[in-house]
Amino acid sequence: MILVIGGYAAGKRQYVRDSLGYSDGQMSNQITDDVPVFYGLETQPDTPLEQLLQKDVVICDEIGGGLVPMEKDERQRRERVGRLCVALAREATQVIRVVCGIGQVIKG
Amino acid sequence: MTHLVIGGSASGKSTFAESIVSRLPGPRYYIATMEPWDAECRARIEKHRRQRAHLGFETVEHYGDLQSLVLLRRGTVLLECMGNLTANVLFGSQKVDNPLPAVQRGLESLIGQCDNLVVVTNDVFADGRTYDDSTMAYLDLLAALNRHMAARFDHVFEVVCGIPLCRKGELP
Repeated sequence: MILVIGGYAAGKRQYVRDSLGYSDGQMSNQITDDVPVFYGLETQPDTPLEQLLQKDVVICDEIGGGLVPMEKDERQRRERVGRLCVALAREATQVIRVVCGIGQVIKG
Repeated sequence: MTHLVIGGSASGKSTFAESIVSRLPGPRYYIATMEPWDAECRARIEKHRRQRAHLGFETVEHYGDLQSLVLLRRGTVLLECMGNLTANVLFGSQKVDNPLPAVQRGLESLIGQCDNLVVVTNDVFADGRTYDDSTMAYLDLLAALNRHMAARFDHVFEVVCGIPLCRKGELP
């Protein structure tokens, strides 16, 4: 599994298309869809790790770079997304961070 | 040696900082900066305490600018975290008038009292929002301290999804 992370609209899916060779039809933000690429993990922090590990590529926004949110739900979502990404990165064969559409391999 | 560890929330920065400390000699001091305001803070403090229990830290609670902090022996210090310390000196019970030079002096005092210092700090600057004046003052002060420490310290690491990226110096 390859984990692709980066800020909102950083060009992550375009990177997965252009550099990893997956088509739009192979990407979905529904974990249950039978396609190799899952994106939008930042809004679905309760997705089970085992299901994520079965994908070829998981794409997630980096959302931990702001001030602590005032709302408890938002604090918990941010915490869960962060912890899930740490766990995914540990298992991933490769972790790629995308900045302005440019991918940097930070693991693997 | 001085080490700065920066990362976003839940990026794995504490775990990485602890892994640096685990290679360094004792005695090990953990400078806890979070004032236990409510149950959520206390739960967080307790979680971190359990996470580092195996490293044999002596915990020193300090909520101020570090200038009055006295360590009994030289050793390795983990200060966690600059984000809390910044809030404390601006808004907390240990508020000071000129916080930037005060904390800079406090850091020098601490560096002078130990052989190794690891400071964990927070990347909180990337949500693209503008806040009220006091929150912007907080962001400006923490950013100034981060820049100061990055220039002053030997090693700087950014942690992303638990992966340390070396920004200055070298990985342990």
